[in-house]
Amino acid sequence: MLSLHGAGIGKGIAIGRAYILKRSDIDIPQYSVQDIEVENEVTRFLGAINATHGQLLEIESHIPSDAPPESKSFIEAYLLMLKDPLISDQPVETIRTEKCNAEWALQRHSELLVARFDEMQDEYLREKKNDVRQITSRIQHNLLDIPQQGITEVAGQLEDKVIISHELSPADTVQFKNHNIIAFVTDLGGPISHTAILARSLNIPAVVGLHGATRYVQHDETIVVDGKRGTIVINPDEGVLDKYRARKRFVSQRKKELSELKDNLPVTKDGADVTLLANVELPEDIQAAHQWNAQGVGLYRTEYLFMNRPEPPSEQEQYAAYSEVIRLMRSPVTIRTLDLGADKQVDGGRSEAPTNPALGLRAVRLCLHEPGLFRPQLRAILRTSALGPIQIMIPMVSSLNELDQVLDMIEETKEELRHDGEVFDEKVPVGGMVEVPAAAIAADFFAHRLDFLSIGTNDLIQYTLAIDRIDDAVNYLYDPLHPSVLRLIKLTIDAGTRAGIPVTMCGEMAGDARYTKLLLGLGLRIFSMDSTSLLEVKKKVLESDLRILPGKVEEIMQCPDSNTIRDMVVALEDL
Amino acid sequence: MVKQNVRVINKLGLHARAATKLVNEAAGYDCEILLCRDGQQADAKSIMGIMMLAASQGTELELVISGTDERSALHSIVDLFENRFGEDE
Repeated sequence: MLSLHGAGIGKGIAIGRAYILKRSDIDIPQYSVQDIEVENEVTRFLGAINATHGQLLEIESHIPSDAPPESKSFIEAYLLMLKDPLISDQPVETIRTEKCNAEWALQRHSELLVARFDEMQDEYLREKKNDVRQITSRIQHNLLDIPQQGITEVAGQLEDKVIISHELSPADTVQFKNHNIIAFVTDLGGPISHTAILARSLNIPAVVGLHGATRYVQHDETIVVDGKRGTIVINPDEGVLDKYRARKRFVSQRKKELSELKDNLPVTKDGADVTLLANVELPEDIQAAHQWNAQGVGLYRTEYLFMNRPEPPSEQEQYAAYSEVIRLMRSPVTIRTLDLGADKQVDGGRSEAPTNPALGLRAVRLCLHEPGLFRPQLRAILRTSALGPIQIMIPMVSSLNELDQVLDMIEETKEELRHDGEVFDEKVPVGGMVEVPAAAIAADFFAHRLDFLSIGTNDLIQYTLAIDRIDDAVNYLYDPLHPSVLRLIKLTIDAGTRAGIPVTMCGEMAGDARYTKLLLGLGLRIFSMDSTSLLEVKKKVLESDLRILPGKVEEIMQCPDSNTIRDMVVALEDL
Repeated sequence: MVKQNVRVINKLGLHARAATKLVNEAAGYDCEILLCRDGQQADAKSIMGIMMLAASQGTELELVISGTDERSALHSIVDLFENRFGEDE
């Protein structure tokens, strides 16, 4: 028995047998060919190119019609690369001049290409090396007459299996739905990779970025995949298996109990109204928001529209996407303006990678730096305000100067729209996300200029404690209950309350039921979270009594030590 | 052989989508079409070659075309650059 950790996707647990999807590790032979054999070798190479072309067209025809449009353009790009002289002509020349076998000629050119892309400063272009690798591998399989192991090629063997693979292309992932796969695990990839995003919508657990998965897992071994914890267990013994089966039952049992709370309003024991909102990203997240009775959307992330594509979406495309969310939601939606990092897709001219992206040109900074990117989004959002109640939320504000620039830009955009004869809500509320300690400490100043504040705990914690959550070496220091973090949250809530504007929390802390009572005691009344957490948090709200909580939380605020604080927060559960 | 300097004016530069359009256009002509940048050369019929130029907005490139229909090839490819590859900005 062995257990391994990676980045978890989805919340469920799957137990099943492993299916290893192998693709890359084939041995490339090297040998010389006789003069009279050279043209045969060239023909063999061109035959493999043609076969690969046919297979790609076959995959294209199997993409489900409801798959995101990017899946198709992905295949189109592969087809164009296959025709590229650097892939299809140069190896032919090498076969002729060096009289070597086709596999070797192809591999040499492919490695040169990969090395060239690898040197690129531009992250987007650098990633193209993976496309070169994948396409090369497909041709090599055809040359060596080794069966391809894409999802299409092994269809029929995958039902109820856990797929283990070095990496999966989005072209594979979109087809999972057709094959009843119960979970997947990959060596590479991150939680926001394209593959992960597509997989999340399929509602199956997965663990990505689990280095060594393909090395440790054997075909047909029993695997437990825990999407919530990002863990897999290989060959669990009966005891462990029983535990996981029990947890799986517990999870579904608890889900059933919680679902009975679905129609209750979130009101505390003493009758105070609390508002529970959903964080959404994709239109399908709206279904989940309705399923768990969210009272609106407290955070609509717009980055998805901008990711995994070389150019930003037009105003019209954004307008269409935002309108769809407003239409489906039918209750207030808070749209967050673009929160991208110093990112490749939007700035082809940037030649140096930032040394510290978290402190670099990101979120609202990037938007002010690139008005050509920001203005179409503001126009699209403002136009959407004619269709239903929305709010505009600016991420990562850190100085009043910057905030004033944004507010000016919004006013200018409104003027432009009036001039163009477009309709919009003149009073659309504009709020800011408190994620930088500077904004929390001076929250009173920000509160005077804004219509609402929203606390983004993930970044606020990271910036306050100066720890990079992604860095394995320091992430044990990531602590939502650090006294400094709690003070900044309190400062922000108090500033909003004094200015008479609502304060929301939309970070992970808002959706973590362990902290619900603490936050209520600090004065928070609006929580926005992943829809799957709504009922757990609602349960805590129903159990809370605001006649007692604030006093207890005041005691917690006097405590200097996180561990003691943790115990005191747990003790709130018994009130 | 015909030559002309062109400037990348579309905001996103010669990234995948613009490169795709350029390759598809170039493929329609029976001539050799080269894009040159600071001594680096790329075949306009190669999507990877074009991307490897990493030509962002503002980059100056020299088009060198030779072949039977070089005049019309030059004309249509210059047009493509000037029309920002059909992109908004």
